[in-house]
Amino acid sequence: MAGFVERMRNGDIKSLIARNGIFVAFVAFMIAFGIGSDRFLTFDNLESVVRSSAMIGIMALGVTIVVISGNLDLSVGSMLSFGTVMVVNLHDKIGPGPAILVMMICVLLLGAVNGFLIGFVRLNSLIVTLGMLSAIQGLTLIYSGGKNVDVNPSTQDTTWFRVFGRGEVAGIDMPIIIFFALASFVGFIIAFTPYGRRVYAVGGNPTAAVFSGIRRNRVVFSTYIVSAFCVGIASIILGSRVMGSQNNVGQGYELLVLASVILGGTSLLGGSGSILKTVIGVLILGFIQNGLLLLGYPYFAQWIVTWIVIILAVWLDVAAKRGRLLSPIA
Amino acid sequence: MKFAYTSLIAGTTALATIAMAGAVSAEPMKIGITQNNVGVDSYQTTYEKAFIEAADADADVETVVLDAGGDVARQIAQIQDLVQQNVDAIIIWPTNGKAVVPAVRAADKAGIPVVITNSNIAEEGFDFIKSFSGPDNITQGSRSAEIMCDKFKDMGIEKTAQIVQISGQPGYTTAIERAKGFEDRLPEVCPDVTLVETQPGDWNREKSQRVMEAFLVKYDKIDGVYAGDDNMGIGALNAAKAAGRDGIIFVGATNFAVGYEAMARGEYWGSIYQSPVDDAKNALATAKAVVEGKDVPFLNYFDTPKITQDNMDEFTKPVF
Repeated sequence: MAGFVERMRNGDIKSLIARNGIFVAFVAFMIAFGIGSDRFLTFDNLESVVRSSAMIGIMALGVTIVVISGNLDLSVGSMLSFGTVMVVNLHDKIGPGPAILVMMICVLLLGAVNGFLIGFVRLNSLIVTLGMLSAIQGLTLIYSGGKNVDVNPSTQDTTWFRVFGRGEVAGIDMPIIIFFALASFVGFIIAFTPYGRRVYAVGGNPTAAVFSGIRRNRVVFSTYIVSAFCVGIASIILGSRVMGSQNNVGQGYELLVLASVILGGTSLLGGSGSILKTVIGVLILGFIQNGLLLLGYPYFAQWIVTWIVIILAVWLDVAAKRGRLLSPIA
Repeated sequence: MKFAYTSLIAGTTALATIAMAGAVSAEPMKIGITQNNVGVDSYQTTYEKAFIEAADADADVETVVLDAGGDVARQIAQIQDLVQQNVDAIIIWPTNGKAVVPAVRAADKAGIPVVITNSNIAEEGFDFIKSFSGPDNITQGSRSAEIMCDKFKDMGIEKTAQIVQISGQPGYTTAIERAKGFEDRLPEVCPDVTLVETQPGDWNREKSQRVMEAFLVKYDKIDGVYAGDDNMGIGALNAAKAAGRDGIIFVGATNFAVGYEAMARGEYWGSIYQSPVDDAKNALATAKAVVEGKDVPFLNYFDTPKITQDNMDEFTKPVF
């Protein structure tokens, strides 16, 4: 605290804002939309936005870890389609418990394929996960035969599977609780445990990490397992919320997830980033889309504004780090 | 149009049995089809099955069934292959209405008649095709408006009702035409019903559920929802149920099994019945008639009737 006051006195407030620009931007957005629409800051709306951001958010937790370790994961959208189709399809056949178990195992296996190819074989993560994006989509189509899947309508209101997407505790929707619980857990692991430090080390300087005795391949492998685990959880929530699934339900989600992570200031070069900022990134993205909709802007305005905000956020982040707007190198 | 189609079928059958019994069955006509993306959804999967069954049942035709897997380049190559094989007619389910036009022109130049199925190609290609066989999406949209309006009249709220629309993926012809049909017809039949807002649900149930959640927050009064297909309609229904907003009239298009079941439960009011089986049969019959040199309407639509809770017993549950 003393240090903080010291820095304030030294006129360092500018760099403090710059380094935590994401929080400032978040508050500014909330105020602006709050003024623009009297529905925006109602409890129902806030709850609705956080609830629908929860799935993107949960996937973004895993992807944040992958990105901190210096890699990418573009396969999460396809994996979400695969997971939901599978868990919904198996729900009526073998019951919700076994369905969740089998789906989680399959999704973790897909994550293991990613992790093996990128961690142990050392292939480029962009190429591997871009390939997996298509391959898993194909797998989903083979599995489902192209059909939409649904939980039997007569059991939709009685199965305990509904808890994950439609249940609530103390008036708060379950997806929100799961999102924040998982975010706290993953955030703790990454910030305060030796494992977390190894992830940062591998992303920040892989060579130094290896010389310090960190097994890079295992750490990278594990990040894809975490990512797949998060996708599995998101699949359960989505399946339960919709009580059905389509083969392409997760299409395009990989970009929303990656956008949230980048918006949160996690560097694509690896070695820096935080779960808290990713959570804020997720919420900003969710609130921008919701706010523009409440203000009555057409959908294409959402696309444009969303990407302007993301590019500005990344620019701000880079500019704050190097202390100037444009690159000093010609 | 319905009449034209029915008489066409009757004519085809009669001629096929009388005049062509000897000559044609000795040398069956060869019809090639390149489909958009079988397996990506249940409609296309059922379509392919029905097409193959209909062709197998007809001794006069032999088919080459191909699938472009959603890939424009592959579809163009498949059209060229079919031209090389010198088939009697090519049926195309375009992956992209514009990109296939040059290949269609090449087929036409080679003297092979082309029939487009399900979703039409861009207008600049119309000179090179013999017929389009598929659903009339504008009529579907206007019929949905009529279903909605009739229900409001029954309820006595046609003077005050407020509705929202969840449309299909922006840029898709089907989405644009259905929205247009609906928006044009609604003021004609129910001039006092207000369409307060339209947002796309991208044919995605989860996206549609999210859009509807926002609508429910934004508007205290929503009497009806028109969704570009039942899949999105069910997403909207999920959102309304979760928010405890009862009494909203849901009308969709392309009746899906989930929509049919929700209608049976009394939660979903109506939709448009579009059968992939009729779609496939109509495409085959159209191509056959073209090869036989018959007059075929340029836009050879198959009928897609209204389905509501009141008349749903007349229809079998959709397989997709």
